[in-house]
Amino acid sequence: MSVLEVHDLTIRFGGLTAIDNLSLAVNEWEIVGLMGPNGAGKTTAFNCITGFYKPNAGRVLYRGQDVTRVPPHRKAAMGMGRTFQNVGMVKSETVLENLLTAQHTKAGYGPFLALTGASAVRQRERDLTAHADAILELLGLGAFRDRRLGSLSYGTLKLLELGCALASDPDLLLLDEPSSGMGPEESHELGDRLLALRQALGVTMLLIEHHVPLVAAVCDYVYVLNFGKLLAEGDPEHVRNHPEVVAAYLGGEAPEALEQTEAPAEQAAAAEELADAAPSEPASPAPRRGLRRPRKEAS
Amino acid sequence: MAAQTEVLTGFDHLSDQGRVSLRGWALRGLLLLPVLALVLALPYQSDEWTNDAIYAAIFAMVGLSMNVLVGYTGQISLGQQAFLGIGALTAANVVNTGTTAADPFTFAIGILAGALVAAGAAVFLGAIALRIRGLYLALVTLVFGSVTADAIFTIPSLNGQDAGIPAYRPTALQGNFAFYVFALAMVVVCIYIDVCIRRSKVGRGLIALRDNELVASAFGINVLGYKLLGFVLSGAMAGLAGGVYTFWSQEFSDKNFTSGAGFSLALIFVVMVVVGGLGNRAGVIAAAAFFALLDPLLTGFAHHTGWLTWYTDHKQYVQNIIGAVLLLQTVIFNPGGLGQVLRPFTQWFSGKRFSLHAEGDAAGAALGGGDSVRA
Repeated sequence: MSVLEVHDLTIRFGGLTAIDNLSLAVNEWEIVGLMGPNGAGKTTAFNCITGFYKPNAGRVLYRGQDVTRVPPHRKAAMGMGRTFQNVGMVKSETVLENLLTAQHTKAGYGPFLALTGASAVRQRERDLTAHADAILELLGLGAFRDRRLGSLSYGTLKLLELGCALASDPDLLLLDEPSSGMGPEESHELGDRLLALRQALGVTMLLIEHHVPLVAAVCDYVYVLNFGKLLAEGDPEHVRNHPEVVAAYLGGEAPEALEQTEAPAEQAAAAEELADAAPSEPASPAPRRGLRRPRKEAS
Repeated sequence: MAAQTEVLTGFDHLSDQGRVSLRGWALRGLLLLPVLALVLALPYQSDEWTNDAIYAAIFAMVGLSMNVLVGYTGQISLGQQAFLGIGALTAANVVNTGTTAADPFTFAIGILAGALVAAGAAVFLGAIALRIRGLYLALVTLVFGSVTADAIFTIPSLNGQDAGIPAYRPTALQGNFAFYVFALAMVVVCIYIDVCIRRSKVGRGLIALRDNELVASAFGINVLGYKLLGFVLSGAMAGLAGGVYTFWSQEFSDKNFTSGAGFSLALIFVVMVVVGGLGNRAGVIAAAAFFALLDPLLTGFAHHTGWLTWYTDHKQYVQNIIGAVLLLQTVIFNPGGLGQVLRPFTQWFSGKRFSLHAEGDAAGAALGGGDSVRA
C-alpha cells in the first residue's frame, strides 16, 4: 500500500484551474520529487495534500485512509510533516523553542494539565528538550540553540526547518524546496543528509525541488507538473531526457530542445542551468553560467 | 560596553556549567528584599496606601490576562473591562451578602464563579472572533465590551436596582491589609498560571499561532482551538480580577463599567500591556501597577506642590497625556516595552547570566506584523 496516493486532484481559483486531474503515489521508503516551472502548481498540490486548501475534486489517501477533508493540524498529528517554501517557523522564538513547538503533537499531555504545572508535564518537557537537543546535534546546529531566528542565515533556517519537520517523528515528510537559498556544496550535503535521514528514520518523502542534481541524486521517482497538469513521470533520468519536460523548462519548442540531446551531457547541463535559474530570473545572465561550470564538473 | 558586561557577569557566581551557586542565589534573594519591602511594607504604612496597592494588584491581574490574549495569542482586545465587570457582577450576585460579612465558603465560590462565568463569556467572544483579525477584531471586542456593560450590567435585578450590590468581605479579610494579602495571593495564582502557560506546549502553541497560523497548523497546533483557549484563559484571569475588584470596593456598581468609564478602562488596559511589553510578564505587571498607582501618585505630588485643585480639575487630561506619551515612546523607541528594559535583571534573577545584550521578545509581531510565509 502506498503511503500517499492522490487521485484526480483538481482545484480551481476563480476561472483558473491550478491543478488539473493530478494523480500521484508515494510508496513506503521512497523519495519522490515534484518538479515543474514556476507557477506549475507544485506548492498548490502540497497545500491540497496537507489540507491547507480544499480541492474541488479528487481524493487524497494517506495509508489507505481518505484524508481529503482532514484539517492540516490533524494531518500533522497523523504523521504528515511539511516545510514551507520561504521558511515556516515561529520567528519570534529561539531555535530550541521552535523545535519544542514542532513537537506539539508528541507532547503527551493536554492543555489543561499543562496549566497545573504538574510534575508529569515538567518531566515531559525535559524529554522534549532532550529530543530537540538530539536533533540539533544531528544537524550540527547545536551552537544556535538559544539564538532567535532573526539572527540566522537563510541556509541555516532551511536546515532548521527540516529539523522542525523531523522533530515530531513524521512518517511522511513533504519538503517545499529544501535546497532554496543554499549554495552548491550545501545542497549536495543536503542530498546526502536526506538519504541518511531516510536510512536512519525510515521516513518517506515527497519534495518539491528545482535543483536537478539534487533530484537526480536522491529521488527514486519524479513527477513533473506544468500548468497544473502532469507532464511526465518516471525515474529522474527518464524525466530529465523527456522532450516535453525540456521544452517546458526551456520555454521553447520541443524539437529545438531535442537538438541538444545529441550530446547528453551538454543537454543535462543546459536543463540544469535553466532549472536553477527558473525560480528567480527566467533569463539567466551570462556571468552566472561562467560561475556555475566549475561546480558542475566537480560534482 | 563589553568590559562592563564582563564585570557584571563576574558578579554572578556562575560555575562552568552556567549553574548558579548557593552564594549566587543568596545574593539574588538579598537583592529581592527591597522589592518585597516595596510590595509589602509600604502598603502597610497607611490604610489609604493599602487601598491603592489592592487596586494595583487588580490591575496586575488584568495586565496578565491581557498578556495572555494580546501578548501570546496576538489577538487585540478593547473589551477586557467587560470580563472584569462580568467577574465582579457574578461574584457580587453569588455571594449576595446584604449588610453582613460574607461567609468564607460562599466568598470563595463567588470569586471562582466570577472567573468561570467570565471564561464562559470569553468563549462567546472568542467564537465570534475566531475568523476575524486586525481592525475588525478590535472593533468587535470594542462593541462586545460596551454592549455587555450597557445591556447586562444595567439589568436592575443584577445590579441591585441600579443602587449597586453590596459585597462585604469575610471577617478574616475585613481589614484592608489582610485583603491586600489575599489580592496578592490571587496575583500569584495568575503569575503561576502564566508561568505554566509559557513553559508548556500551551504557550508555544499560542505564540506560534500569533506569529503565523499556517506554520502553527503545520506543526499540528489546532489554531481555532488554541485561539479560543487564549480567549478563555484571558477571560478567566480578568474575571478573577473582577471578583477581587468587587470585594475591594465592597459593592458592585454598573457605573464603573458602562460607557465612558468602561471605555477608559479598556484603553488603559491596552496601553499598559503595550507599555509593559507584549508577552513579557514582569514588564506587564510593573506597567499595570504603574497605571493603577498613577492617580494616587499624582495626587500626592500635587498635594505637596500646591497644585491639588488644578490637578483634581484636570485629572483625566493629565493621566491621558501621560499614557499617550508613554505609548508613543514605547511604540517608536522601545517596542519591547518596559519588559525589554527590565529583561537583563529578570533574566539574572531567574538564574541566567547578566547580559545587556539579551535578545528581545520580538512580540511586536503580535499586533499584525508581516506574514511572509504563505501556504
